[in-house]
Amino acid sequence: MPKVFFREALTRAIAEEMTREPRLFLLGQDIAEHGGSYAETRGLLARFGPARVRNTPVAEAMTIGFAAGAAAAGLRAMAFITYLDFLLLGLDPLVNYAAKLRFKSAGQLNAPIVVKATAGAKGQGPTHAQSIEAWLMNVPGLTVLAPSNAGDAYGLLKTALRAEGPVVFIDHKRLFPLGGFVPEKEELIPIGSAAVRRTGRHLTLVAHSYMSVIALDAATQLSAAGIEAEVIDLRSLWPIDWDTLCASARHTGHVLLVEEGQVVCGVGAELAFGLRERIPELRIARLGARRLPVAASPVLEAYTIPGVPAIVGAAHALLAPAAHE
Amino acid sequence: MVRKFVIPKELGEAIEVRLLLWCKTEGQQLGAGDALLEFETDKALVLVAASQPAVLRRCFFREGEWMKPGDTVAWLSDEPGEPLPGEAGAPAEDLLVDFHVT
Repeated sequence: MPKVFFREALTRAIAEEMTREPRLFLLGQDIAEHGGSYAETRGLLARFGPARVRNTPVAEAMTIGFAAGAAAAGLRAMAFITYLDFLLLGLDPLVNYAAKLRFKSAGQLNAPIVVKATAGAKGQGPTHAQSIEAWLMNVPGLTVLAPSNAGDAYGLLKTALRAEGPVVFIDHKRLFPLGGFVPEKEELIPIGSAAVRRTGRHLTLVAHSYMSVIALDAATQLSAAGIEAEVIDLRSLWPIDWDTLCASARHTGHVLLVEEGQVVCGVGAELAFGLRERIPELRIARLGARRLPVAASPVLEAYTIPGVPAIVGAAHALLAPAAHE
Repeated sequence: MVRKFVIPKELGEAIEVRLLLWCKTEGQQLGAGDALLEFETDKALVLVAASQPAVLRRCFFREGEWMKPGDTVAWLSDEPGEPLPGEAGAPAEDLLVDFHVT
């Protein structure tokens, strides 16, 4: 398997899908000559031309509105929103138009768009570093994907670019500096399939996006203390892969749900309730950011967001006999 | 004196970089300002140029290979015939370099 930068996995997926589907075009800030905020569209303007790789103004509502309108009229579009925080400006066309179009038109119209946005804390502070993907899970009609590595980003983005409805594809700032492996030949990953990253018998750690990387580190540390954690990387936040989650939960009996975003109405809240409905005797805990905005200071950022020590501590607490009484 | 070139730790511990190009081969002389190698980060291309004369003696990575901050990439010496450290040893001094980022 070739090793590539995270951005190269995205570029390859987009280029392959643009070659396969002539109706697919891209739009976003600085994606043409500049090659994208993370160089993820580098080379695509030269390869596919200005009609299919279009710069937009700093106007997220317009970007997603154009994408959804063009898609409803028969094209396919991928819209680039630099930071997930900025998606708030484009929520109206995404939530009120694209996500509902198929239902409002009795299936006559559809909006096959992918909105890519970058979440996560890496020194950008309160309004450029939020992980608010849980908000999007609430919207009927939206698919929400959040890969944790280059290979999954490649396979999931390809599937997303062929999907029939709107997809929000969320990556993370801390994934871009990492190298990862992509398949030699074209390979798609189905939407709604979680991945078991590590097997274990004492508890299940569930995470998505960059938090999956942290959860794996925590599992290594737990293993040194004799606790074998299974690690599930959700990959798809909606739809949720209940089969994989429940199989692991039944096996270990303990589930710790970890996310970078807020705990209140977070990904973990939804998963905890769904798991409890399916497996009433399950012991569940959740861990997320403190109820604070993301700080710009690296010290306060690390304080706000769960790291390996917090996950290890929460795992010990979940497994301690006192927690069961 | 034998010197080393190390991928700078300031790039961050978690980052990996890819060696793109050796501008010289083992045994070749570099003058001050001559390009030694080029590597790629997730965001930028970085051309490493010697800022002192040196002879390239050992290359520890091949083009296309991945390296991490702290990895020793090359040994160089002030004079062509200077004895190199043994397998366990490593030069203490860093080669003086300039980074050209695009």
